Amino acid sequence: MSEMAVTDPEGMDGVRMTWNVWPRTKVETSKCVIPLAVSIAPIRPHQDIPTLPYAPLRCRCTAALNPFARVDFSAKHWMCPFCFNRNQFPPHYSQISETNLPGELYPQYTTVQYSLNPATLMQPQSMDGTSQNSHPPVFLFVLDTCMIEEELGYAKSALKQAIGLLPDNALVGFVSFGTQVQVHELGFSELSKVYVFRGSKEISKDRVMEQLDLAIPGRRAVGAVNLQKGATQNGFPGSHSGITRFLLPASECQYTLDSVLDELQRDQWPVAPGSRQSRCTGVALTVAAGLLGAFPQSSGARIVALVGGPCTEGPGTIVSKDLSDPVRSHKDLDKDAAPFFKKAVKFYEGLAKQLVNQGHVLDLFASALDQVGLAEMKVAVERTGGLVVLSESFGHSVFKDSFRRVFEDGEQSLGLCSNGTLEIVCTKDIKIQGVFGPCTSLEQKGAAVSDTVVGEGGTTAWNMCGLDKSTCLTVLFDLSLGDKTSTPGTVNPQLYLQFRTSFQNLEGQNMLRVTTVTRRWIDTAVSSEDLIQGFDQETAAVVMARMASFKMETEDGFDATRWLDRSLIRFCSQFGDYRKDDPASFTLNPSLSLFPQFMFNLRRSQFVQVFNNSPDETAYFRMLLNRENISNAAVMIQPSLISYSFNSLPQPALLDVASIAMDKILLLDSYFSIVIFHGMTIAQWRNMGYHNQPEYQAFGLLLLAPHEDARVIVKERFPVPRLVVCDQHGSQARFLLAKLNPSATHSNSHDMAAGSDVIFTDDVSLQVFIEHLQKLAVQS
Amino acid sequence: MTSFLHPGAQRPGGSNSNSPPPSQQHPPHPNYGNPNALADNLQSMNLNRPNYAAPRASPFGQPPPPISSAAPSPGHWAGSQPVARPGPSPLSMITRPMGGPPSRAPPGAFIGRPMGPAGSHPPPPSSLQSSVANHVGPSPRFPVSTGGSATMPTATGVGALPFATGMVSSTPLGATQAGPVSVGPPVASGPRFGPQVGVPPPTVTSSASAPSQVPTMPPFISGPPRTAMQTAPSFSSQPQPAMVPLPGSSFVAQPWQMRPGQIDQPPPGPGAVQPPRMYALPNQSMTSISHGMAPTGASSGGPSKIDPNQIPRPIPNSTVILHETRQGDQANPPPPATSDYIARDTGNCSPRYMRCTINQIPCTADLLATSGMQLALLVQPLALPHPSEAPIQVVDFGESGPVRCSRCKGYINPFMRFIDQGRKFICNLCGFTDETPRDYHCNLGPDGRRRDADGRPELCKGTVEFVASKEYMIREPMPAVYFFLIDVSMNAMQIGATAAACSAISQVISELPEGPRTLVGIATFDSAIHFYNLKRALQQPLMLIVPDIQDVYTPLQSDVIVPLSECRQHLELLLESIPTMFENNRIAESAFGAGIKAAFLAMKISGGKLLVFQSVLPSVGIGALSARDAEGRTNISAGEKETHKLLQPADKTLKTMAIEFAEYQVCVDVFLTTQSYIDIASISVVPQTTGGQVYYYQSFSALSDTAKLYNDLRWNITRPQGFEAVMRVRCSQGIQVQEYHGNFCKRIPTDIDLPAIDCDKAIMVSLKHDDKLPDGSEFAFQCALLYTTLYGQRRIRVTTLSLSVTSMLSSLFRVADLDAQFTCLLKQAAIGIPSTPLLQVREHAINTCINILLSYRKFCATVSSSGQLILPEALKLLPLYTLALLKSVGLQPDGKIDDRSIWVNFVSSISAPLAIPLVYPRMISVHDLKTNEDESMVPSSIPLSSEHLSDGGIYLLENGDDALIYVGAAVDSGILLQLFGASTVEEIPSQFVLQQYDNPLSKKLNEVVNEIRRQRCSYLRLRICKKGSPSGMLFFSQLVEDKNQGCMSYVEFLVHIHRQIQTRMS
Repeated sequence: MSEMAVTDPEGMDGVRMTWNVWPRTKVETSKCVIPLAVSIAPIRPHQDIPTLPYAPLRCRCTAALNPFARVDFSAKHWMCPFCFNRNQFPPHYSQISETNLPGELYPQYTTVQYSLNPATLMQPQSMDGTSQNSHPPVFLFVLDTCMIEEELGYAKSALKQAIGLLPDNALVGFVSFGTQVQVHELGFSELSKVYVFRGSKEISKDRVMEQLDLAIPGRRAVGAVNLQKGATQNGFPGSHSGITRFLLPASECQYTLDSVLDELQRDQWPVAPGSRQSRCTGVALTVAAGLLGAFPQSSGARIVALVGGPCTEGPGTIVSKDLSDPVRSHKDLDKDAAPFFKKAVKFYEGLAKQLVNQGHVLDLFASALDQVGLAEMKVAVERTGGLVVLSESFGHSVFKDSFRRVFEDGEQSLGLCSNGTLEIVCTKDIKIQGVFGPCTSLEQKGAAVSDTVVGEGGTTAWNMCGLDKSTCLTVLFDLSLGDKTSTPGTVNPQLYLQFRTSFQNLEGQNMLRVTTVTRRWIDTAVSSEDLIQGFDQETAAVVMARMASFKMETEDGFDATRWLDRSLIRFCSQFGDYRKDDPASFTLNPSLSLFPQFMFNLRRSQFVQVFNNSPDETAYFRMLLNRENISNAAVMIQPSLISYSFNSLPQPALLDVASIAMDKILLLDSYFSIVIFHGMTIAQWRNMGYHNQPEYQAFGLLLLAPHEDARVIVKERFPVPRLVVCDQHGSQARFLLAKLNPSATHSNSHDMAAGSDVIFTDDVSLQVFIEHLQKLAVQS
Repeated sequence: MTSFLHPGAQRPGGSNSNSPPPSQQHPPHPNYGNPNALADNLQSMNLNRPNYAAPRASPFGQPPPPISSAAPSPGHWAGSQPVARPGPSPLSMITRPMGGPPSRAPPGAFIGRPMGPAGSHPPPPSSLQSSVANHVGPSPRFPVSTGGSATMPTATGVGALPFATGMVSSTPLGATQAGPVSVGPPVASGPRFGPQVGVPPPTVTSSASAPSQVPTMPPFISGPPRTAMQTAPSFSSQPQPAMVPLPGSSFVAQPWQMRPGQIDQPPPGPGAVQPPRMYALPNQSMTSISHGMAPTGASSGGPSKIDPNQIPRPIPNSTVILHETRQGDQANPPPPATSDYIARDTGNCSPRYMRCTINQIPCTADLLATSGMQLALLVQPLALPHPSEAPIQVVDFGESGPVRCSRCKGYINPFMRFIDQGRKFICNLCGFTDETPRDYHCNLGPDGRRRDADGRPELCKGTVEFVASKEYMIREPMPAVYFFLIDVSMNAMQIGATAAACSAISQVISELPEGPRTLVGIATFDSAIHFYNLKRALQQPLMLIVPDIQDVYTPLQSDVIVPLSECRQHLELLLESIPTMFENNRIAESAFGAGIKAAFLAMKISGGKLLVFQSVLPSVGIGALSARDAEGRTNISAGEKETHKLLQPADKTLKTMAIEFAEYQVCVDVFLTTQSYIDIASISVVPQTTGGQVYYYQSFSALSDTAKLYNDLRWNITRPQGFEAVMRVRCSQGIQVQEYHGNFCKRIPTDIDLPAIDCDKAIMVSLKHDDKLPDGSEFAFQCALLYTTLYGQRRIRVTTLSLSVTSMLSSLFRVADLDAQFTCLLKQAAIGIPSTPLLQVREHAINTCINILLSYRKFCATVSSSGQLILPEALKLLPLYTLALLKSVGLQPDGKIDDRSIWVNFVSSISAPLAIPLVYPRMISVHDLKTNEDESMVPSSIPLSSEHLSDGGIYLLENGDDALIYVGAAVDSGILLQLFGASTVEEIPSQFVLQQYDNPLSKKLNEVVNEIRRQRCSYLRLRICKKGSPSGMLFFSQLVEDKNQGCMSYVEFLVHIHRQIQTRMS
């Protein structure tokens, strides 16, 4: 965290914007090409954020009291900067004065956090337990059993480990599935008891609850007297006590669960030759969601699903059982040749809706060599703010380490929180188009809602069932149509945005964070210089990537490359300095100059060039792109490359094939994978074991350095990236080469320096790209 | 035919042995080796177990006391018998000669088979004889005279013998019980079967017969576990030759004769081929009813005008009859179904397997119609044989399968006629001439028979079993699969039904056939279905819940049903814990339909037996039912006509399911342990369609019904039975099968599918003429049952019955089979009950009776005084039984719906030997049981009339399913103390459990009860009835000869019938 403080571009607010000064009108906004967008990490921790042990004061317009409010100390009034309403301070603020300010009015505290006593928000009956225990975290594990014995073994041991890591009071449940879904009743002492649901039939939440003998909250089940026995156990009031048969505190059920896992076998249903195993992921998730439906709405709970293959049975099926039918590819999706796709997506949308209503999270851990249907399930994970990890085996560190981190405590903890709600208040004339990221629109209409809807839009509030400290949302703004230039100069030169995020932390406390930011309006008609100064290239690149991804998913026949190129050309024509029709005269302001390169790499990235990946991978990449902060997302688009050599300290290298040298080690961080690449000479030395010899200690250190750095990156990141260690000309080297600018290819390699490398590609290199850009940008 | 082995020969592979290697059908019962196992069970069940351990251990060389079967009955009855029936025609006593044949039987036996006990049994100790002799004295009971054909001409004479049957006019017996007329037992030395006319041996002569009876005993006491068995009517097999499935114990002896019907038939005997002269007159009974007095005398005058003691009543006969199925190349009319007989298969099948309502076939439909009788077969293909009967022989034709007619596919049988030097044979069923298969060829002897006919069972026996070849199998013969499904809903737990079921299953597990082919599964249900995975190496069983009861499924592909050997421990553990596990279950709902469906899905691959224990009205899930009896009650007032609808299934759901079950060879047995309405009419559809059975424990009491539940379950599982069976009856040309009735599923018109069939199930086959038959020809019926044995062998049991065709109406009456006729009448009434208003059913029953009697009166009776009611001798009990039928539960309008439903259901598969007692129960007096005898004999029965009760008496009344013990108001407290451990009637708990106290009377009572249980193959529910209480009313309602239940008394009924006949005559 201290590191962050040094080079933290987001500051304590966790806010980054494409433009830090805003044009006044819609017309001018559209001339900016890059939309007005704000990236916010709603609960990103920061050492300077004060936590206030009371609830905030609210204006009638719902905005919370903030440092930008104009306070009249004598009259005990404050004026809301958003609606200019005057608000009286309540009696307990009577001590307020210029020298005695409450925390939220300190000018530096643009972000404050309120810790809300649960009792003030919750229903009275939760008073019975201590507030600490009123809402223990809930984890419902859902395990696929259609796997080979070895994989199942890995998955089981990961689960066991995870359960051991959970806090004692965390409630744990277990569902396994294959052809059918088995809900394990862990609270049944006589013998192992499971409820079995058929995998082929769609089942409603009410049916699930009814069939599990769970009282439906707010509705008393008839004859469910027995359910009342467990009332008040674990601090849960009676209305949902039946659930305690299935969800037990980790400390109580660890042994049971361990033995259940030990006994758990692979799915025993016969598989016809030439067929896929029958796997009812869809129903399993429905049942899990239904089970959690017995909880009252406000309790955060996570469904942690471990899936080892595609759903082939019942609703949510993504591929037929016949092995001769491959799982859909991007091409199939393009040609509408994926017969299950739309239906499955619709099904998972329904599931997402249910989970969001309940306030529960779906975390998906998919490990398979083939696809598992992440592209279809994405909606359920993303809308609930769930975690997702895609790996090729449950034995792989990408899964193992990521999975462990979810449950680990301490510094590296993900800081999982639940029941998040984000509300945005903004200055008049600013309209909200929508949000990209792990959230769901709450459909809360208001004056600030734009007619144009992008992403999760049409609202001023969003639900985030699950969120963690790295969760990041991108809000797209728009300005109202009205031509405000005519309004006299009384207009406030500042614009304000307030983000209020309420959530429940891991300890079960209800928190509210209020971030109020202000930016300056400028009249671009007068000068574009200020505008350019306020441009954030990284954020802009990431927002463009997110928009491109979104459009590719939602717009039929959308040509992302073409759209990016045109945007970039428009952008350059708009903001570049050039003489018309003279490419050579083209220059860009330094605060814009990196943007084309970002665009170049974005064009080549997995986000745009999807055909190299499966739809599952694409969905995975995009989900992470949408939920990571700007710096990380920028790395996804344009990996960072560090070069290690004897002659110098580790230094960033150009993301270019030319950076490859025989006597260097390269460390590539492309977010999803980290590649340590040994030049040929280094590799030879290492193979000869020089680093083990005392006189070549320096070499040993050189070899270690990139590993050390990689470790630091891995430690920070979730999901854990795939670590590839490779040598020049080795097969694994492709992970590096794919990301490098092909400045040297087989067609122009004649003048290469010895020891450098070439990339066999027909892709254009950055140089060619820029040349074309310049040419097109200056065209009249 | 090289592959053929002589049936008698031992095959190494052991497929056709009819001799000891017990593997065939009914290998030694597991329990046999461990006599105590059973005993222990019994002990825990608090049963009464006289001598249980001893006989079990060794069948032979046992002291005789355990003799419990009919054999001893002669002894007991020896004296009274002849006296009792002085009336019977001179011929009638033929049963007596029983003494004769058995003497021959042991050594020669029937086929010289190693019959085991029969031959080797040491002669019974003399004590037995003496005891027999001791009781020869005349008994004052049974004054009814029947039999003889001569009538009392003086019908008007009031006190004078109004009823007379038989040829010789009998004198009233009131006074002289030892009626000299009595045919009595033929003197042993005399021509055993010769007509005894005019030889009125003194009663005492019966003692003379006693010695000759002695030899008959061995076969009976041979059943080693006799007494043990009866306590727990386990009827398990014994180490007998394979053919005798459940020899000793399971044999249903009928120590009391229903009627003197056989009287007019000479007993099987070498020479006695039904001399026609006997039938000149004898086959009618007459009763004189004064014309004038009938209407008035009905109520009060009965006794005065018509001596109730003189009217036809079933005459108990406890001697064993030896019956040869054919004599002199003619079918021999069988002995009464309820009698104790040993059949010898001399070409026709034993009447146990197939019985025709008339033992000659009318040549035209008109003739049949004129007689008023119906033509039908009662088929019971796996019926329990008498232990002394020769086992059915198994014939293996190798891969080619049995020889069959190429046109009608009839199986080779003794009546196929070989011609052309044996190269061809004429099918006796369709008349087609078939080529003899080359390797089956054999030359004919001078008598036109094949020379090897006597050596080949299929050519000389009416019943044989063929080993089925591959072409009779669609798949591998199925394993023995038992799936137990137990209701654990709140009610079931509270009334203790679940615990009872679990304990019963737990005990029965050890009785299941051993071996890897025995698979078991278990599930419980309330508003969800709980399966149990028993195949778990490491841990306790896994409980798998199927909550979706609208659309069920099986929770595991395998492992829900596992080989018994792999899960025995888990199973026992589980059964032990189920009652506690659901102890506090508050779920009142019960998903019966879903439960059986789910269990079915689990069993679908293999098929098998599904045993369901249900305690409440199925209220949720597939096939949920509603308490429509309540609705029904309100409707009764609205319209009486609609009540029968409540006896129909509520809807088609269960029927549809049942048909699917049957298709996959799943048989459902339902044990209804309930205290309230459960809608048997709907539920019973499933067992009925799948060849199963409904057991009903009305007002279930954990205290008194647990033992019965266990014993029912045990018998259900251990009785001889077959799986995945198909049955068809073929007839010779001219008659065809009209319909089958029983518990089965019928998908194609000609065959019936039986997922399971057991020894207790009978099927009624109604027949109809479609052509005129040549007079005097032979007419054959052949029933073929293809089934899989418990041990996975595929078999075809072929039962052939050949009867002669007649054009004489009088012949038809002469050879009418009362038991079969009445059983058909009963079944038809049962069929009618759910679909037609009760009034019609009752009228139909009465009319059938009247029409038969009218026809006889019109066309056959020789004496025609209008004041006389003349009954055909063979059918003289028809009025009594008809009356009893009218008074039975099913035909009573005020009965509870479930009681009537279960009655209808019970009747649908009932066999003739049990049909009679169902409507006309047996009543014996208990307070005066003769305790100084050492046989566990059942005493002679008392007519079902309150006149025969005394206030100081205790009576036991049983109908083969239920038993009532009536305690009079003034019983000696000493007797009460001895029998019930209570000194006053009031002290006897109404939740009655028969206990054995340490006194001879109590022991004797227990012996008697156990003997009855054994005979009926049913663990009777004992209920105590006290005068003045509702239970007492119940008891009196069973006394069918009384005027009760809004029905006439027996005498009144006879008067009624007589008047009807008279009306129609004129």
